[in-house]
Amino acid sequence: MLMTAMEFAQFPILSAILFSTLLALLVILFIPDDRPKLVKQVSLGFAALGLALSLYVYFAFDPQKGGLQFVERVLWVKSLGIYYFLAADGINVPMILLTAVVLFTGVLTMWELEKRVKEYFALTYLLVAGVYGVFMSMDLFFIFVWYDVSLFPMYPLIAIWGSTRKEYGAMKLTLYLLAGSALILPGILYLWAVAGGTTFDLFELQRLGFDVQVQRIAFVMLYLGFGILAGVWPFHTWSPVGHVAAPTAVSMIHAGVLMKLGAYGILRVGMTLCPEGLVYWSDLMALLATIGIVYGAFVGLAQTDLKYVIGYSSVSHMGIVGLGLATMTVDGINGAVFQMFSHGIMTALFFSAVGYIYDKTHTKMIPELGGLSKTMPKASAFFILAAFCGIGVPCMSSFWAELLVFISAVKTYPVRGILAVSGLVVSALFMLRVVQKTFYGDKNPKWEHIPDVPLFLASPRIILVGILIFFGLFPRLILDIIQSAVVPFVNSL
Amino acid sequence: MMKWTLFSPELYYVAVASVFFVCSLEKKADPRRLYRWAVILAGVGLAVTVACARMEGFLFFDSYKVDLFSQVFKVFLALGMFFVVMVCSELHGIEPRKHGEFYFLLSVCTLAMMMLVSAVELLTIYIALELSSYSLYLLVPMRHRADEYVETGIKYFMVGATASALMIFGMSYLFGMTHTTYVADIIRKLPEVLNQPAAVVGLLLALGGFFFKQALFPFHIWAPDVYQGAANQVTTYIATASKMAAAAMVIRFVGMSTGQSEVFIEILVVLSVLSMTFGNLVAIVQKDIKRLLAYSSIAHAGYMLIGILCMTQRGYSSAVYYALAYLVMNFACFMVIIKVAPDGHNLQIKELAGLHKRSPLLAMTLMLALFGLAGIPPTLGFTGKFLVFAAALEKGYLLLVIIGMINATISLYYYLIVIKAAYLLEPVREYAPVRVDTWTRVMSAVLVIAMVYVGIFPDRFVALAEATVAVLP
Repeated sequence: MLMTAMEFAQFPILSAILFSTLLALLVILFIPDDRPKLVKQVSLGFAALGLALSLYVYFAFDPQKGGLQFVERVLWVKSLGIYYFLAADGINVPMILLTAVVLFTGVLTMWELEKRVKEYFALTYLLVAGVYGVFMSMDLFFIFVWYDVSLFPMYPLIAIWGSTRKEYGAMKLTLYLLAGSALILPGILYLWAVAGGTTFDLFELQRLGFDVQVQRIAFVMLYLGFGILAGVWPFHTWSPVGHVAAPTAVSMIHAGVLMKLGAYGILRVGMTLCPEGLVYWSDLMALLATIGIVYGAFVGLAQTDLKYVIGYSSVSHMGIVGLGLATMTVDGINGAVFQMFSHGIMTALFFSAVGYIYDKTHTKMIPELGGLSKTMPKASAFFILAAFCGIGVPCMSSFWAELLVFISAVKTYPVRGILAVSGLVVSALFMLRVVQKTFYGDKNPKWEHIPDVPLFLASPRIILVGILIFFGLFPRLILDIIQSAVVPFVNSL
Repeated sequence: MMKWTLFSPELYYVAVASVFFVCSLEKKADPRRLYRWAVILAGVGLAVTVACARMEGFLFFDSYKVDLFSQVFKVFLALGMFFVVMVCSELHGIEPRKHGEFYFLLSVCTLAMMMLVSAVELLTIYIALELSSYSLYLLVPMRHRADEYVETGIKYFMVGATASALMIFGMSYLFGMTHTTYVADIIRKLPEVLNQPAAVVGLLLALGGFFFKQALFPFHIWAPDVYQGAANQVTTYIATASKMAAAAMVIRFVGMSTGQSEVFIEILVVLSVLSMTFGNLVAIVQKDIKRLLAYSSIAHAGYMLIGILCMTQRGYSSAVYYALAYLVMNFACFMVIIKVAPDGHNLQIKELAGLHKRSPLLAMTLMLALFGLAGIPPTLGFTGKFLVFAAALEKGYLLLVIIGMINATISLYYYLIVIKAAYLLEPVREYAPVRVDTWTRVMSAVLVIAMVYVGIFPDRFVALAEATVAVLP
């Protein structure tokens, strides 16, 4: 498809979403220090605006037409061929929606924050701007730039507002993820240089095509680089540590959205540009993903800290995404993208629920809790629902996602597929064990005085549960969109 | 007579140097007045250099070439001097009665480096280099209570003298091989003889003198001690302006080989890898922030060399861009150091504790500058690294780029330690309050905006860097 240097189809809605977050950042910076309430209100206002705009994108996107929609493309740096190129397709529309939802609920979850409020929300918006940027950009340079922009606010966010070995967690996370980008940047530049050093436009590069050998080298760099962020075993160790150390809403954004950036990067950059590389390395991908699923489930079984449990379940669930991508089938990739979406919502719900419990009891150790469903039934219900979703109970959106992935995985990789399914059984075991120990059993008298969650504070969790069930009942509403991008993609493999 | 206008930036700095020479003879010169004059003169100097940026021509029997390349670097140098003079309002690192000499030597050094970037003949290059070196040899031990730091001055002088001895030895080889001292002729004749070891050795030794200025491994040993031992303002000058001239000359000398010799390129690759790795690894354990920046400068010399050793237009232009980025980011760091340590002592990292409360603006400037040095977007440091690595990959140096990126990750660790001190640590004792005057506010704001703006909209600056190196032979 040929495009002129400048092309605006209509109102630049994607830029509006992206820059509304940066505008929020600026506005927050200019609010006086002694008005924390105002900071929160402004943050919520911009989050609501972002949510509204992304809902518009979600509804206005035409799955029948497919392809790239809402395209914005401007030449940025002439001599290198860098384009400011934003577009929406079936793969990133759910991701944009996911980001907006998690941001909105994340702001609500942090409503009671008191420490350095202004800086917290400013950094959150910087982080989210980076996330949006990666999801929307179709230019390798900008994908990388936004990717790094989304990483470095994590360090202060965890190190200042976190808990449990926060400085260690923050440093580990930052260095791991930056090590990932140390592979991504050479990978991207390598492809750019091989293609003649004239364009960073993803689709022009795809059209130019690459040698098999080049694809193999570039793919493994991109896979490992993005894979670190996606929590691919054995590069996942930063993730539970980071989740545990991070404050609630940062864990939500981080596990809910940021880890998806990794999987999205593998799909968008690695698999699009290096299909031959994918074919060559798919065995390894499937293997690492399967180990991740099983390993995450077993390690999760041994945890006593609620956040560690969720952290390891994330490793396991992101393994499902990786497995889906490695199958290279329509169903598998559909499932993987759907799983990215529903896992994002589900983990956000998990962390949001744990966040409330931790705020009130100041502990997240399972043995110290116990019987919580009797003292705070509503707050417990959210966690239990998230656990159901994690197990893949029907009527929850992740059921469909996991079903699609496992069906195609068993077809493509019988042994690994069956192993992965058995990993799911273990993960059901550990989820139920956690639920039983934390929320049922004997009441701990220490927590009897704790009030149940009020409606306003519960609102983020209500929204998240609503989304999980809604897409669990009507999976086609999102699968049609995803499919509009995946089918042509798989056909081109 | 017209020809002399080509020389006007240099003449201007000769005049500035003379003014301060006269001032240094005065027994009781008022430091405040000297500072005001220095700011005005350096500011006008910057304007003069910018005004002369488009001049072209030859001077002094063709040994002196005025072109876009030299003029752009002169602008960098004038900018560097202006920056340094700007932060001299509280020059407590140097005795008040020596302030006149300080400004005098600073002007002479800037003048010498301006001549250096224009010189296209080996002996002219050597003389210009020595003039700038000797100014620095005097500036470094000028520090207040110099007896504590006397070792620094001697060390700097000894290493510097050795490096220039090696350089002139190398130059004699080049002359022996090509029978000329003109760079343009050497470039024409050298490729024919570059298969002979003597030519490669000569070129490498000649480069040694500039590697010394750049603090590239293994010519780096002076850097940590000198950074620590010299007055903060002098260190700032060494770390910013002086690096610019060195970068320009390395580009010029590496260009002599015209990419003909595999061995030569391999040696440069090895030096670059060693420099990056060594600098970054040793920087991790530093407690003194100036020492830390010294080791980081060793690493950055390595990154810059990656661009240069590509020996393509894109490689050179990326190095020019990187040099500019480095000038701005490094200066921003030093400005914060000078303001946080107004009495001119050596700042320890832990003394930055709680800076975000003591002065949010300086803390932000420092954070952005350090993220820039680490190569995190959207700062101009990232664009610099990106351009350098892009140029290297065009030549197919995949492994070198991966090593460079891994090094960038390592470097992030120690930059984060500094940022952590400024943003997370609570001060263990009361530190003197940070006084931030209006000038500093303006400077910080300008630096922050420049670092981000150029990082996001690099197009024009990339084009400038490309135009700059297009005139190289």
